[in-house]
Amino acid sequence: MHVPFCATTCDFCAFYQTKPSADGIRRYLDAMKAEAALVSWTRAPGTVFWGGGTPGLLSPSALRELGSLVNALAPAGVEEWTVEMAPASVTEARLEALKEIGVTRISMGVQSFRPELLDALGRQHTREQVFRAYERVKEAGFKSVNLDLMFALPGQAEDEWLADIDQAVALAPDHISTYCLTFEEDTKLWVKLSKGQVKLDPEHEARLYAATWARLEEHGYGQYEVSNFARPGHACVHNVNTWRMREWVGLGPSAASQHGGWRGGNPADLERWQAEVARGERMTEDRVRLTPALLLEDAVIFGLRINAGIDLAELARRFPARGLADLRGALDRLVAEGLAEQQSAGAGRVRLTGRGRLLADAIGSELMGLIDAEPADAR
Amino acid sequence: MDVSLTRNFCIIAHVDHGKTTLSDRLLEHTRTVEMRVMTDQHLDAMDLEKERGITIKSHPVTMNYPSKSGTIYKLNLMDTPGHVDFSYEVSRSLAACEGALLLIDAAQGVEAQTVANYHLAAAQDLKIIPVINKIDLPSANLELCMKQLEDILTIPAEEAILASGKSGIGIEDILEAVVERIPPPRWSEYPQTRALVFDSLYDTYRGVITYARVFSGALKAGEQMLMMSSNQRSEIKEVGVFTPKMTKVASLGAGDVGYIVSTIKDPSEIKVGDTLTQHIKPAQEMLPGYKEVRPMVFCGLYPLESNDYEKLKAALGRLRLNDAAFVYQSESSVALGFGFRCGFLGLLHMEIIQERIRREHDVEIISTYPSVVYRVKVVGEAEEREVDNPINLPDPGTIDYISEPTIKAAIHIPNRCTGDILSLVMEKRGTVDHTDTLDDTRIMLTCVLPLNEILVDFNDRLKSITSGYGSMDYELGEYREADLVKMDILVNSDPVDAFASIVHREKAEGKGRQLCEKLADIIPPQMFKVAIQAAIGGKIIARDNVKEMRKDVTAKCYGGDISRKRKLLDKQKEGKKKMKMIGKVNIPPDAFIQVLKN
Repeated sequence: MHVPFCATTCDFCAFYQTKPSADGIRRYLDAMKAEAALVSWTRAPGTVFWGGGTPGLLSPSALRELGSLVNALAPAGVEEWTVEMAPASVTEARLEALKEIGVTRISMGVQSFRPELLDALGRQHTREQVFRAYERVKEAGFKSVNLDLMFALPGQAEDEWLADIDQAVALAPDHISTYCLTFEEDTKLWVKLSKGQVKLDPEHEARLYAATWARLEEHGYGQYEVSNFARPGHACVHNVNTWRMREWVGLGPSAASQHGGWRGGNPADLERWQAEVARGERMTEDRVRLTPALLLEDAVIFGLRINAGIDLAELARRFPARGLADLRGALDRLVAEGLAEQQSAGAGRVRLTGRGRLLADAIGSELMGLIDAEPADAR
Repeated sequence: MDVSLTRNFCIIAHVDHGKTTLSDRLLEHTRTVEMRVMTDQHLDAMDLEKERGITIKSHPVTMNYPSKSGTIYKLNLMDTPGHVDFSYEVSRSLAACEGALLLIDAAQGVEAQTVANYHLAAAQDLKIIPVINKIDLPSANLELCMKQLEDILTIPAEEAILASGKSGIGIEDILEAVVERIPPPRWSEYPQTRALVFDSLYDTYRGVITYARVFSGALKAGEQMLMMSSNQRSEIKEVGVFTPKMTKVASLGAGDVGYIVSTIKDPSEIKVGDTLTQHIKPAQEMLPGYKEVRPMVFCGLYPLESNDYEKLKAALGRLRLNDAAFVYQSESSVALGFGFRCGFLGLLHMEIIQERIRREHDVEIISTYPSVVYRVKVVGEAEEREVDNPINLPDPGTIDYISEPTIKAAIHIPNRCTGDILSLVMEKRGTVDHTDTLDDTRIMLTCVLPLNEILVDFNDRLKSITSGYGSMDYELGEYREADLVKMDILVNSDPVDAFASIVHREKAEGKGRQLCEKLADIIPPQMFKVAIQAAIGGKIIARDNVKEMRKDVTAKCYGGDISRKRKLLDKQKEGKKKMKMIGKVNIPPDAFIQVLKN
């Protein structure tokens, strides 16, 4: 569920967000209910993720209202329910509301503990606010807490980044996400990059990635995806499900869905999304008919980003597609070149090595288009 | 008209010594071209000729000159190509004359081409009239020029005419000297018709237009003429003279220079140096000096945009119509796609053709490394094979020997550069036969060098060492055996055809290393390990690695990112399709071009 409201726009953020207003939030909540009613639910959702925007910006009562929508869809409760929060908006009243509706996991966007970098990113919180917010979240007693951090920030030295990791580790969260700064189009940072005020340095980024993985491993946070680390039992089930190409229903402006044979997104605009919902439409953008071949390919590409890797035999059973010889050949080559490894001899399980994981995009494009596009049952 | 009142002559000079300006003054003075239509360099019609100050096609012109004695003479001025690449054409143009004006820039003195052209003219038994040009320049050094005339060319200094094409000084003297000193047309008493072909032009409407100098007899429309080298016959449709534009006349007689329109449609049928005669009463002996011209330098030409292939093909076809010495045939390269193997008389010829393709036909092209024509003796074969493309070199195990063409070069340089130039000649596997002093500051080195070694950067380095003062002229020498090998460039063990070359064994390693380095540097970082190697036979002599890609991964990739991500990967995939796949490596096509450009 996408909650599109933000008080201010961060310099790095390309997600859809808009300024909140009482009327805007009211109409948003109504449209969310309307959109949920448009979905032909074949089963109750197993996991929930509220992202944004800043879901934590909603008032306790609005949170309760949105929560009741979830609880109506999943009367037996859900396995995992994550809410993203900005440190500045963490209040006891909101945490209480979230606990009450059944939220199990809080993901807090810290980004950095260094004041000058927080400033440079356009974040609205201070280091002290982070500590206070974290303390409140811990006190509220959610099953799992995640901290988001960013690295390769302009002007950030390697030891400064490692100090940020150590600081996060000292708080002992259950899960840590570390994101290499990405210059997304239509962000303030992108403008700086195109003006030459900041520079990209892939070599430096590669070094920081490697240092990050080593440091978190050392502290008992196992990497399970390119940017995600967790203590045992705390990996984000919701996200792993998307990478494994299962089904999800996205509600809200700009939310993406994959279910019922289709993939698609809602318009990234509050008004247009509401208008569509009012017409009884959703998932109208980048709409793609799902085929076993497409899902298999994506399960490979996105599955390889996961440390556990993929089991091609299992995927081929889930998504029956023909002509996997080329794909197998390409995976074999990755293994031969040291970018991937076969987990046990003869088995179809393949995972990327550290070096391979740093090249997951290049590998993804290498693996595209190798599967016979026609599904097996069509012949 | 009386043959004794005709004079055929040409002007020979080093580049930029004022040949064209002087020709223009002669046309003006004889009122052949009115002042008002006179543009600078009237005879050098092609843009490229004007720009480079060289003559590529012949531009003969007939002038009428009333001499001081009151007699009107017919003067035929042959404007000859001025570069060694065209030395055979030059020799044929010279053979069409009885005399030559040898032009020397008063400020520059005798230079490499002056000497070379003088020898060519002397070899044709032409009467030489030395003209010291640009005498009104503040830097003119007449004394030195006179001394050089005597010392280097062994021409009595008192024969020199002082002139300035620019301001018109000495023009009358020159015309008088032409009439007085140059003998009337030779061999005019020969019993049958003989005419020397010295150039040809292709006209869309009229077919091949042959340029010829008639020595004896006559050629006129309606008659059958015979080309003596091929014994081929064709009907003459029109004859005419150059005034300078083509002007139809009833017949061309002994001593005349003019053009012939005939039934010949294919330019390759008419050969420079051939003798034309009458079909009904053919001559028994050809005029002396005919030979088949054969290209000496070859390279592959490829369109930068593969869509331009047809356009390039058409351009080559049109260029060939006016240049029988230029040859081409289609070939394809893994690295560069479809293109043509082209043969040229020499380096300048190659540059000119490439430039004209770009400029006049608007096709962007890339050229592979030029190669000379090697002679390869394979064990057990009676004849030597000619190899102009490294990929056609037979298996080294079967080769008895390879020989390469050499040149005899005359290099004029300032004294102070001698050491550096000697090192350059050594580096290029050359030897210096002798050294001559030109004056207090300059010397002339006579060297023998392998042609292959001067193909790429010799002239540039000569110019750079001598700050532009050095000059070189050369003639082709003999073939010499040399320790030559084929060097392949391999990308992940796959040879890249466009980079194969034939090199001297001792230079292979250095050149190989340089090429590997350059390629490794230009190919963008790769996901897989990519080795660039230089190899002779199976032996690797140099290697480098393409930089390994260090990081290409999106940090955030959640549900909403999947569509976006797919689009991005699709785009990358599309981009790869445009690349050349060699040794399982996708190489951007401009990588090869970058390497070949330097």
